[in-house]
Amino acid sequence: MFLTRSEYDRGVNTFSPEGRLFQVEYAIEAIKLGSTTVGVKTPEGVVLGIEKRVQSPLLESSSIEKIMEIDLHLGCAMSGLTADARTMIDHARVTSQNHAFTFDERIKVESVTQAVCDLALRFGESVHDEDAMMSRPFGVALLIAGIDELGPQLFHTDPSGTFVRYEAKAIGSGSEAAQSELQDKWHSRMTLQEAQALTLRVLKQVMEEKLDQHNVQLAQVTPEKGFEILDEVRLKAIIDAM
Amino acid sequence: MPDTAHEQPQQRQFYPYTENGGTILAIAGADFTVIAGDTRQSEGYSIQTRYAPKVFRLTERAVLAVNGFAADGNMFVKKVKQRLEWYRHAHAKEMPLRAIARLIQTMLYAQRFFPYYVNNILGGIEEDGSGAVYSFDPVGSYEREACRAAGAASSLVQPFLDNQIYFKNQTPAPGTPHPTYLPLPDVLAIVIDSFTSATERHIEVGDGLEMYVVLAKGRSIEELADVAGVQELTTRADGDRMFVIQRELKKD
Repeated sequence: MFLTRSEYDRGVNTFSPEGRLFQVEYAIEAIKLGSTTVGVKTPEGVVLGIEKRVQSPLLESSSIEKIMEIDLHLGCAMSGLTADARTMIDHARVTSQNHAFTFDERIKVESVTQAVCDLALRFGESVHDEDAMMSRPFGVALLIAGIDELGPQLFHTDPSGTFVRYEAKAIGSGSEAAQSELQDKWHSRMTLQEAQALTLRVLKQVMEEKLDQHNVQLAQVTPEKGFEILDEVRLKAIIDAM
Repeated sequence: MPDTAHEQPQQRQFYPYTENGGTILAIAGADFTVIAGDTRQSEGYSIQTRYAPKVFRLTERAVLAVNGFAADGNMFVKKVKQRLEWYRHAHAKEMPLRAIARLIQTMLYAQRFFPYYVNNILGGIEEDGSGAVYSFDPVGSYEREACRAAGAASSLVQPFLDNQIYFKNQTPAPGTPHPTYLPLPDVLAIVIDSFTSATERHIEVGDGLEMYVVLAKGRSIEELADVAGVQELTTRADGDRMFVIQRELKKD
């Protein structure tokens, strides 16, 4: 029996007659509902920035965790269903540690990104004896920042398991405006300070509330100190200097 | 039903390992490494073959010598080469020497309770361009050293290297300290002397000698130009260079 058009978005691994996987496309849509996340690459390192949506004055903004460490030289910022990212970051951390254990070297940024993307399409109906699998695609996109022998790098991954390297990238609800701003302002010889300022300026443009050290978070990966999340004191200093 | 009460107790056993003799050796210089092994393979007093290589090229800059139980050794090298290929596909680069050393440890330790009956010596050029030798025990303990001998005649060769490479029991003349690294021609002479001497004194060593020489990128090859039996194995023009020198050893 021929399924009616609208029924092709039911099964997670059924192609529509036009060759589309609707559930994956809907997952990509889910990211556009997430808060804005920005990544900027410079020769001195990579900067990640996120907007924390503080919906209530009673909410403790320090409990919102959207930037996470993968390894000493790798960091990650997310947008979308952030709970889904935990599975992916867990996998990235294990992959990175395993690589260090087996090869006595830091894993490349692209390799860890590939490992995360390998997870992305492992959804669908699991066969009787198999371990419980993901029943749906991940509803989150990641910006993976890191430094390896090829220098600072920034990768973007989406629920389809595709990954692309970027000089600067914005994802989430404000991503269209943010991305065009990045396209205007990014240049290849940017300093880390300029990248921090650019990240904040882009976030400020797309945020509804007034930007302060409580409703944004910055992190960076540098050759000297590796991955670090900037604390509120350092963040405030950067905001004040803008 | 037959009466078995009077029968003597019987014992059966299976011993899965054999020692196949031979000796391997590696010496690191400042910007080169020599990895060598004889080619005799024996079992007891019998020679199985006069040409069974124990030294293998792994990458453009890494060479592995394996000594002990030949079947385990050959299988181990095969598996290491397979892992190197997987790594090349996954990470789009050749595995660095130090990473190969760690990989060999994890592969050996994975067989902790049914070990590969082999001693490994890994030699080559590090990422920083220095010559390096890593030696392993059968279950994966390893360290980076300047030189190491292993195998049947290791107890004959290692003390000689301690004296000639590490200058043990030698007193330098005042004002002329011992060198940290020896030049390539001196190292080749020491390797050849080690094997001719081991051939004289150990029945399991002899027949042929294979010496792999890895030169760091940009290093002069002048010292190898007039060496007899040298053959270049380099495949990439812009990197480190690799040579093999084949010599005869006494066959008695």
